[in-house]
Amino acid sequence: MTQSSSVMTTAERPVVDTFVVGVALVGMLVLGGLIWLETAPFLVALFAVGIVLGVALYHGAFGFTAGWRNLVTTKRGAGMRAQLMLFALASLIMIPLLGSGHPGMTGAVAPIGVSLVVGSFMFGIGMQLGGGCGSGTLFTVGAGNIRMMVTLLFFIIGAVLGSIHLPWWLDLPGFDPVNLITLMGVPGAIAVQWLGLGLVLLWVNRVERRAHGNVEHGELRMMPAEGGVWRTLLTGRWPFVWAIVVLALGNAATLAIGGAPWGITFAFNLWGAKVLQALGVDMSQFEFWTWDYPAMALSDSVLVNITSVMNFGLLLGAMWAAGMANKFNAASNQPLVARQFIAAIGGGLLLGYGARLGFGCNIGALFSGLASGSLHAWIWFACAFAGSLIGIRLRPFFRLAN
Amino acid sequence: MKGMYKRHRVLGILLAALVLIMMDHLHSPTFAFNMGDGHAKASLNQRDASACAPCGAPCPSRR
Repeated sequence: MTQSSSVMTTAERPVVDTFVVGVALVGMLVLGGLIWLETAPFLVALFAVGIVLGVALYHGAFGFTAGWRNLVTTKRGAGMRAQLMLFALASLIMIPLLGSGHPGMTGAVAPIGVSLVVGSFMFGIGMQLGGGCGSGTLFTVGAGNIRMMVTLLFFIIGAVLGSIHLPWWLDLPGFDPVNLITLMGVPGAIAVQWLGLGLVLLWVNRVERRAHGNVEHGELRMMPAEGGVWRTLLTGRWPFVWAIVVLALGNAATLAIGGAPWGITFAFNLWGAKVLQALGVDMSQFEFWTWDYPAMALSDSVLVNITSVMNFGLLLGAMWAAGMANKFNAASNQPLVARQFIAAIGGGLLLGYGARLGFGCNIGALFSGLASGSLHAWIWFACAFAGSLIGIRLRPFFRLAN
Repeated sequence: MKGMYKRHRVLGILLAALVLIMMDHLHSPTFAFNMGDGHAKASLNQRDASACAPCGAPCPSRR
């Protein structure tokens, strides 16, 4: 009896990769300590928010790319509905914050024009070829995925190229940002966002019902499919609802602490530009790097750039989570064939270039844009989804499973 | 998952990232300011409220 109890306890105990968990914790302490010593407490807080977001993205398996692809290929919409719930909750929290008139807070609003349409479309193709969006690329790299490291490298290269070309694209037809909060007030902006999200939800449900005759509401599950709450909290996999709450609160916390919503891809521009600068390239010859914010970021430490600091936290948070789930590098167990490698390169370039032209990725432009009541986020959503349809069609050629 | 990766590679990549971050930081105005150079133009708040997009792009109407 005692022996069987002992065997059961051992079998039920989650196996943790202590090396990865330990290294991630040391990384958090070293980098967090450095930020604390050299910068300001609000950046330490944002580093911590980044860690939590990385854990939520990994344990929630919150992939925008796979959610869109599942709707198209398997006609199942749980992932897509989870994203819509996330946008709705974040809008409900962040639009009142932005509409409160509190000084020092700006939303993720951006102009609408050719640059946005072309950039988000390219990003959509890149999502499916590269295997992830902005957040997806980052958290899978943190979890040790080698293919995604290739995607990230070329994401950075594409982003720098995009930053060099962006002024040319901005000279093409376009108009100034449309901020729904300014246009119709806080209640009106929330109502419009919820109405839009509701219409997309109806379409997603219709697609699923027509294909399967029913709608599987996996996104509404509150409790883990197996295992206890605490165990699941630490080792995954989280129900979508948990990830939705953490991601929405995390974005709101980023806005409250940092003064602007969560973004990811500006840091990729910055890292690439810093490398070029270190190699002797004069970045001030490019108009983008003469604008106030990019110029300030380029001239100072990455440890005072909010997006970089949060990305560092996200990478380490995802690494810790992957170690807790004992799945660090698990996605790299299949050998990378040549075409997949080419897809990672091409996808990464499209992601980077598209993110710069489209004023951000699925986080900075879509998630934060919708939660800021900006019209550009809806254009980004539609164009990136259209691009994603092409990317999904191209995946089999690159030996990528749909 | 021990067979899935080489420990020295993980440590190597993280150390390389830390070295790059440190090299960047040690050459920055923020570090100079912290070392007592009062003329260094550190930028703890990098937001540009007049920009038209999160990346700092100007508005089309101003181009």
